[in-house]
Amino acid sequence: MVEHRADILVSCLHDRCPELIPAFEEELERRGLTGEVTVVEAGCRGLCAMGPVLLIEPDGLFYTHVDPADVPELVEETLIKGRVVERLTYKEPETHRSVCRYEDIPFYTKQQRIVLRHCGLIDPASIDEYIAVGGYQALGQALTSMTPEEVIEEVKASGLRGRGGAGFPTGRKWEAGRKARGEPKYVLVNGDEGDPNCFMDRALMEADPHSILEGMIIAAYAVGAHRGFIYIPYEHAGSVRSMKNALEQAREYGLVGEDILGSGFDFDAEIRLGAHSFVGGESTALMHAVEGHVSEPRPKHVHTTDSGVWDKPSCLNNVKTLSIVPEIITRGAGWFACIGTETSKGTQVFSLAGKINNVGLAEVPMGITVRELVYDVGGGIPKGREFKALQIGGPSGGFLPPSLLDMPMDYETLADAGSMMGTGGVVVLDDRTCVVDTARYFLDFLRDESCGKCTSCREGIRRMLEIMTRITKGQGQMADLEMLETLGQVVKKVSLCGLGKTAPNPVLSTLRYFRDEYVAHIEDKSCPAGTCKALIQYYILPEACTGCTLCLRKCPQNAISGAKKEVHVIDQTLCIKCGVCYDVCRFDAVAVR
Amino acid sequence: MNSTGFEPRIVAFLCNWCTYTAADTAGVSRMEQPPNVDIIRVMCTGRVNPVFVLKAFAEGADGVIVSGCHPPNDCHYQEGNYKTFRRMPLLEMMLDQYGIEKGRFHWGWISGAEAPKWAQLVRDFTEQVRQLGPLNWKRQIESKE
Amino acid sequence: MATLIIDGQEVHAEEGQTILEVARANGIEIPTLCSHPLLEPYGACRLCTVEVIRRGWSRLETSCTHPAWDGLEVKTRSPAVIEARKVLLELMLSRTPNVPVIQELARAYGVTEPPYPVEDPQEKCILCGLCVRVCRELVKANVLDFSQAGIERRVGPPFLEKTRQCIGCGACTIVCPTGAIEIVLANAAVYQEKPLGPTSAIWVPSLQAVPRVPVIDTDACIRFRQNDRTDGETADACGACQMLCEAGAIDFTQQDEIVELDVGTIIVATGYNLWDPTLLSQYSYGQSPHIITSMEFEHLSNAGGPTSGQILLSDGRKPQRVAIIHCVGSRDHNAHPYCSRFCCMYSLKHAHQVRDKTDAQVYEFYMDMRAFGKAYEEFYERVQEEGVTMVRGRGAEVEVLPDGQLRVKGEDANLGRLVQVDVDLVILATAIEAPHDADRVAALFGLSRTEDGFFAESHPKLRPVETNTDGVFLAGVAQGPKDVPDTVAHAGAAASMALALLDKGEVTISPQIAVVDEELCSACKTCIVLCPYTAISFLEDKNVAHVNEALCKGCGTCVAACPAGAITGRHFTTEQIMAQIEGLFRMPIPQLAEGVSP
Repeated sequence: MVEHRADILVSCLHDRCPELIPAFEEELERRGLTGEVTVVEAGCRGLCAMGPVLLIEPDGLFYTHVDPADVPELVEETLIKGRVVERLTYKEPETHRSVCRYEDIPFYTKQQRIVLRHCGLIDPASIDEYIAVGGYQALGQALTSMTPEEVIEEVKASGLRGRGGAGFPTGRKWEAGRKARGEPKYVLVNGDEGDPNCFMDRALMEADPHSILEGMIIAAYAVGAHRGFIYIPYEHAGSVRSMKNALEQAREYGLVGEDILGSGFDFDAEIRLGAHSFVGGESTALMHAVEGHVSEPRPKHVHTTDSGVWDKPSCLNNVKTLSIVPEIITRGAGWFACIGTETSKGTQVFSLAGKINNVGLAEVPMGITVRELVYDVGGGIPKGREFKALQIGGPSGGFLPPSLLDMPMDYETLADAGSMMGTGGVVVLDDRTCVVDTARYFLDFLRDESCGKCTSCREGIRRMLEIMTRITKGQGQMADLEMLETLGQVVKKVSLCGLGKTAPNPVLSTLRYFRDEYVAHIEDKSCPAGTCKALIQYYILPEACTGCTLCLRKCPQNAISGAKKEVHVIDQTLCIKCGVCYDVCRFDAVAVR
Repeated sequence: MNSTGFEPRIVAFLCNWCTYTAADTAGVSRMEQPPNVDIIRVMCTGRVNPVFVLKAFAEGADGVIVSGCHPPNDCHYQEGNYKTFRRMPLLEMMLDQYGIEKGRFHWGWISGAEAPKWAQLVRDFTEQVRQLGPLNWKRQIESKE
Repeated sequence: MATLIIDGQEVHAEEGQTILEVARANGIEIPTLCSHPLLEPYGACRLCTVEVIRRGWSRLETSCTHPAWDGLEVKTRSPAVIEARKVLLELMLSRTPNVPVIQELARAYGVTEPPYPVEDPQEKCILCGLCVRVCRELVKANVLDFSQAGIERRVGPPFLEKTRQCIGCGACTIVCPTGAIEIVLANAAVYQEKPLGPTSAIWVPSLQAVPRVPVIDTDACIRFRQNDRTDGETADACGACQMLCEAGAIDFTQQDEIVELDVGTIIVATGYNLWDPTLLSQYSYGQSPHIITSMEFEHLSNAGGPTSGQILLSDGRKPQRVAIIHCVGSRDHNAHPYCSRFCCMYSLKHAHQVRDKTDAQVYEFYMDMRAFGKAYEEFYERVQEEGVTMVRGRGAEVEVLPDGQLRVKGEDANLGRLVQVDVDLVILATAIEAPHDADRVAALFGLSRTEDGFFAESHPKLRPVETNTDGVFLAGVAQGPKDVPDTVAHAGAAASMALALLDKGEVTISPQIAVVDEELCSACKTCIVLCPYTAISFLEDKNVAHVNEALCKGCGTCVAACPAGAITGRHFTTEQIMAQIEGLFRMPIPQLAEGVSP
């Protein structure tokens, strides 16, 4: 009998190292361990900055930055000799202390993974593994021992709010869907993740597709729908593949189709592909695309639960929302309601990006403070720089200044602070990030993503961007600030869909908390963060410069002159402010003003 | 009337609307005409079967006139005069073959307003036939047998 | 039935109405650009934004899309709304600074200059989507749609290429609020934007039409055209007229009806057509929008016309110099040799109207002035006194100059000189002619035509309204050019004669008719073509000719022609005539008494 020795769960393969698994298999073959060790391609584990990562069970050893070249050593040391390969373990950002066990890594210990509960721990392509960890139990429970109304009551009692960005109470949406008149009814799954800095939906779809399906079927049961659409942009090939595979497997096992689990309930779903765009994730635009048209929103005076796809009652939920539902059914609404804050129950999956050490996905209870998120979970800011702002909510979100570092974050507090929870996309800014430029960057993104239907969004964003661009180039005037404010308020109130209504947020919130930075750009013609190229100047500090010629050689414009061992000088007329000299100097001799 | 001379007997087929009216007017106006012409009124010269002309000669006429309304537009019945216009030249050819001299048959157009023209025609034609002498067609035919 | 409050006023709404519809029905004005009563609401321009207060929450919403729910409170001019509209108009004006309707709206909200940098001053499209929606929802041709996104969004056919899907109906140009779409008419003899013909497929022929009820031109109507084009697949395109008609009077299923009537008399009053002046190229008709026919001038000068009666050039200016040319196509061996009779008088009238409505100088080129009627000569004098310059000599040529002016050349016979004058407007007093289907009408009623092409009356002097076919009368210009008083008299005569015939109830015919002896008739059909009254018909079943005694006039042509001698001309029988001839020669020659001269 071949003893099963270990499982190697490899995560984060797709973009990083497709050769990693073949490398393992080859090495194992070579060492004769093939039958004893299973190599599984598991889904995203969230520690994106350190991928590819490995989890070796049953020891619970966690390795980061694994390269195919490391494979022989790993097999030799860990699998055969049972030793830890120190250099590949996780290192704490500040202390550089090595943490070799998965369960000890603070990044993970601080999290409460509900949505991401299976991510990276099971083979997403195997329905059996999903069932083995308790999957589809909730479905069985709901279909056989609960009425649809009871399901709705449970979800309502849990306080679950939609994780797609708007945070609408899911139970109430399902109740409205149930009450809506019209046949047939549809449930829709929103897989069109639009925020440029968000990747949790994708991670979920690729790592744990069955949890979404289970949630979808339960939703259909609750609402009274027998058909469902899973909308995924065709560009997201991995998600499409994963969901398609899961759907087929579920159908095979009779979990989708007629008389599911003998309950008498029929339900089937199909995957609808669309062309990805930011506005494509907006519910009415998505429904328009499911119908076969362009992703263009329409006014939502009448809720889509009453009139959605083909004017029929349609219940749309985000993938994350649906993946939580089975847990609520099995563990009870009370359990979920204990997590989080008064108004915002449960957890939120944040995607951490920007100037932060632990770039990746982290799921934490609602109500976590900014400080905890950035420093405890996020591992702090690289190079020990100062925290300047937390941008949250994607391009539609706002900025939180240092004064709000200890603010607990939930839907309400963020909205009051002029920001929004959104889908949990977080960008951390340090003192070397220009807030004005970042806001301008988001506006630029939104201008491209605007569908162009309504005047206020299409023209308004463009004009706001014009003003912001001028300000970053040092051509701003004080009157511009008032104009931005007025224009922003009108665009916010008058635009047709969520994109337009939230587009001014970055500008409005930075005007609120970082007005002095704007003023500096306008009146002083300077960029305090030192990033707006038109307003900065790189110069060499004579007292620090050792004349090593490193910057001189690296300068793409040959703008630096100076002999060896003598102080160098930057010719400002040639300098294009690329910042390479700043980056390469070992002596901190290049400064910005 | 000249008792020594030959007095031609002329038969004229006149259409009611034009030439007959002209003749009527000529008479009423006392225009000078010899009495040699006997008039047979038809409604339209189109009614004139060429046989009538032959009959007249056969019965003893020395000359025959057929006269109606002017083409192109005067015919009271639109086109009757055109039929006459077609028949008369053919009839002339026939008369020639019968040996009836050309000067004995006249066909033409005189409108109701042209009474003097009618009177002139009567004068001229009577004289013309007088010069030709008597026809005596019946006798001629009989004598040839 | 819902109740809501708009600007403090309680109003009622039907099921399915939007706030905009209810407001408009109650006389409350809300500006819109992308909304249209016949199209689904779209919500693109955002201009109709109003403040909606529901359950204590106040939000700005577009009134064109928002349903008029019970219990709503709406404010159409609150400060937030005014500010929103002002900002929207600032944005729109910066996109399309030279569009009049945007400029006007912007001005109403205090915006006079575009506050943002203008990218393309000639841009006219505001992306309201009306053209796309009308083409898709009403015309169902699906030619226009949006492409690209964001600020690159634009309207057009696929790939902005000309497509044969477009049926040229012009619905998009009509519906476009900014004039961004234009239909260019080739060869428009009169002003492009104000065509003098029907402008839509459903139209009232003229303000004086009886009955004054619109008709649908099925060749132009979108519904019929689309139905034909798609072989019935798209059978319900457009129908805008039916949707808007409150009386429900429009019925697309009407078919032509053929009605058979037995009538006692027929009056042919088929009028005339205007001769086409392009047939004489020296008048340059069609080369300039300012060379128009007299009929077109009538339309222009009419209060119900395209300019409400003002005499204007195509660019809206009043003309300074006008030339009127008589006898265009009349009295002309290259066109019609006859005189069209009433053009002199109406040309004087036109000259008078031009002088009255503008300060233009008028030059009238005529050959002879036919002012024959009652007070006509006096009017002629009056017009001369009004300062109209009479040039005695037919206008020979009209030349279109590069700057658009028109050079009229002719001879002034009174001065014995060639003259020319440069004018802004030329009115051609065009000849009239018989209607273009006159030969078919003539064949139908057995009418002949005179040389001028008009129908032939029985007698040019004595029987102006009768025709050679009994019971068929002529009225008006169908018989020949005449003006209104003469037409009235003529028509009155025809009516009287027709009535007299009808009144009698029976027709008295002359006994002098032809009769066919059916036994003798050999069916050679010679007689049939000879009858100018089509009184002889051939009876197929009996195989004989038959004379219609009501039509026969008794001329006797058929009698003379029948080879079988089968036709008897009553009262002028062959026997009778023969007897007359015989009788002449049986009688003794009357002997006058001696001495009496004949």
